[in-house]
Amino acid sequence: MQGVVIPISMVPGDSIIHRINPLPKLAWAFGVLVISFATRNPLILSTLFVVGVILILVAQVGNAYLKVAMILFPISLTLIVLQSIAPAFPKPWTPIVSVGPFTIFQEGIYSGISMLLRIFAMTTWAMLMIMTSHPSDIFTSLQKIGMPYVLNFILTMTLQLLPILQNEFAVVLNAQKSRAMKGSGFGAILPSMVPVFVGAIERVQQLSISLESRAFGSSGHKTSYRRVRMTFWDILLIVLGIVFTAGMTYWIIVDKSLDWSETMVFHPAFAIGLVVFATLGFLAFVVIALRNVLQA
Amino acid sequence: MEPIIKVEDLTHIYPTGQVVAVKDISLEINPGEIVGVIGQNGSGKTTLVKHFIGLLKPTSGKVIVNGKDTAPLRVQQIAANVGYVYQNPNHQLFARTVREELAFGPRNLDLPEDEVNARVEQAVEFFHLEELLELHPYRISFPLRKLVGMASVYTMRPAVFILDEPTTGQDNITTQTVYRLIKKLRDEGSTVLCVAHDMILLAEVVDRMLVLRDGDLIMDATPREVFSDYEIMSSTHLTPPQITTLSLRLNGKFGAFDAAVLSIDEMVSEVQKFSNK
Repeated sequence: MQGVVIPISMVPGDSIIHRINPLPKLAWAFGVLVISFATRNPLILSTLFVVGVILILVAQVGNAYLKVAMILFPISLTLIVLQSIAPAFPKPWTPIVSVGPFTIFQEGIYSGISMLLRIFAMTTWAMLMIMTSHPSDIFTSLQKIGMPYVLNFILTMTLQLLPILQNEFAVVLNAQKSRAMKGSGFGAILPSMVPVFVGAIERVQQLSISLESRAFGSSGHKTSYRRVRMTFWDILLIVLGIVFTAGMTYWIIVDKSLDWSETMVFHPAFAIGLVVFATLGFLAFVVIALRNVLQA
Repeated sequence: MEPIIKVEDLTHIYPTGQVVAVKDISLEINPGEIVGVIGQNGSGKTTLVKHFIGLLKPTSGKVIVNGKDTAPLRVQQIAANVGYVYQNPNHQLFARTVREELAFGPRNLDLPEDEVNARVEQAVEFFHLEELLELHPYRISFPLRKLVGMASVYTMRPAVFILDEPTTGQDNITTQTVYRLIKKLRDEGSTVLCVAHDMILLAEVVDRMLVLRDGDLIMDATPREVFSDYEIMSSTHLTPPQITTLSLRLNGKFGAFDAAVLSIDEMVSEVQKFSNK
């Protein structure tokens, strides 16, 4: 069953990045998020992505990151396919090539590539933050800068619910197997979904009862078992993060030449190749993923 | 007689962490035997019995059920012969009504529909589930949910019936149902494995006990022998039934009885014998 679990959680380690306070990491991840949404420029986005990957390697969480990326990449490939035939771009669109009822547009390829890069720039930095910080440190830090406790708690619980659901799914599947569940394939998996969600709701109900019975929501200052310290370097990093984000955003807004949607022209062969690759990549992923789930 | 379960040098290490849950265990269980599995929490009882239905596969060693090595088999294939009642009924029940829950197993065995219905009816009668049939298993109380778990396996009539802590959290009435179930299974010739902390239950119903401590099988004997072995009992922090302890004390003081006493009925007849002496 371990094969089905997606490992989005802290990878323990002692790298320089692990030792940074979660707040500067959060500031940078957020900054990258802002910049990624501000621009479609492939160069800026891919630079952010590459720097993120380098930091991932420095933090020695490459393996865990790769596992997530292997799932994320084929799924994001659908963006290329969808965007190329229906770009999220103001019309008029410039057609490159027509295949049957579908037309691939210049703006579509541009938009697809930049969206893919955008997703990878953002998630790489977000993964870097999540994989190198202890979850409770993140929330303690957020609380220190004034995030309401209840909101904080909702976030923590949401992060915890995912592994619980995965676990629940494995439990139900085992129960069905141990009563000689017939057949295999997707049809056999579907009936387990109902009890998984019923179980999850049941769990949430129990949680709310046990929370209230332990005085959740009563006022007062809360302390944490784990302490987080802010050093001079952490503050410097936060300031740099803010300056960098603001500077980049300003540059992106002011410098119109960063919009390459007109100048970056794609050869029809490249466009077709890319769309075909994206389609096949996604389909291959679906097939492999289904087989893995069914074997588990 | 060919053993129905044969374990050869079984070791199981869980993939997370390096905990050796069971170490180098070998044993044989014959058809029709009623076997108790005891030991402290974390001693490897559940890990051991989960191997018999293939929910766990040996890290090393072999588990042979019904003459077949379980390693290459899928749980679904073993489940036709081996029924496992989970310790936590929430891990076992998934259907939308109790009726569907009871019918799920036998349907998977490709039985004709009237046979499935007949089995459901029998189970309902035996476990007194008449009122619950159309309810969602999650909406009924924990002890009853546990009975539904047992009933859902009982409808499959497996040759080997594994009960994981059947009496934990049960009241007097539902506990009596567990007693009745085990006795009925014995009469029907099934093999029963019962993991339990409930020594009174085991003293009354099992022929043989496996004692586990930290993943080792440290004793394999009759309940009378196990309960009389003071060292084994104290090293595993287990306590025999009070009536057994009383008989052992009386034996120590007066040499009253021939052996440890396992039940109140036995005590009565032993006292009678003693007073006639």
